[in-house]
Amino acid sequence: MRRLLGGATLAGLAAGLVMDFGVSPREATQGNVQRIMYLHVPSVWVAYLAFAIVLVASITYLIRRAEAADRLAHASAEVGVLFTALTIATGSIWGKPTWGTWWTWDARLTSVSILLVMYVGYLLLRGLIEDREQGARFAAVLGIVAAFNIPLVHFSVYWWRTLHQPPSLMKPGLATMPGIIVAALLVNFAAFTLLYVYFVTGRARVLRLEAEAEA
Amino acid sequence: MTPDNWSFVFAAYGFALVVLVAYWCFLVRRERELTEGGEVARNSRKESGVSEPKSASRGPVP
Repeated sequence: MRRLLGGATLAGLAAGLVMDFGVSPREATQGNVQRIMYLHVPSVWVAYLAFAIVLVASITYLIRRAEAADRLAHASAEVGVLFTALTIATGSIWGKPTWGTWWTWDARLTSVSILLVMYVGYLLLRGLIEDREQGARFAAVLGIVAAFNIPLVHFSVYWWRTLHQPPSLMKPGLATMPGIIVAALLVNFAAFTLLYVYFVTGRARVLRLEAEAEA
Repeated sequence: MTPDNWSFVFAAYGFALVVLVAYWCFLVRRERELTEGGEVARNSRKESGVSEPKSASRGPVP
């Protein structure tokens, strides 16, 4: 099953690369540097998804005290941090040729940095508390509180005047981009979602093995 | 016409590739260490006649 998921993920990522560089046209305003979007936007989608799963798994853990829910929250937070860092890095690389700067304290960039710091703190908290049950409980509370930052990140481009453009796809209504660009993005969304599932199930398995080794 | 800035495109894709492959390698290595460590512990328990801990018989994750 895991091999099948791994194979499907690889196939999805390969299809995404074909769409990014072979099918999708050169963008008229930004040129080829716009192709970074196919990496940047699916990365932030996975980060949102990962932290939403942390929220659901944390609530489940607090209600049922199920260790599997705690492991899922831990694994999802770690993968979310990975993809948030990837979002910031690819955005910075994209920002230099288009905005003329690697970084600016714009509302979107600042809020996503706070999101990253909060979930790095979540992972550190888990590592700092020796009592496993207490650590899981505190982490679950932080996992719920930190999730309130997700809408702040997403809607920051509407609520404040920002250099970062508003969403072109993750918004209500029809996409304003050409169909072929939307298709390329959707292929990458699917591939990155598969990659998220592959990483989270793998990390949750490792966490279970670590708990068994400690027992 | 806007310059293409291919170097930025390759930098972004290259960075993502390195990060994702590094995380995948970490998962594979850690799982192998724990699986092999578990096998060794189980074998040594069998040899010394000690029974398996209950936690080793848990269901699949997550």
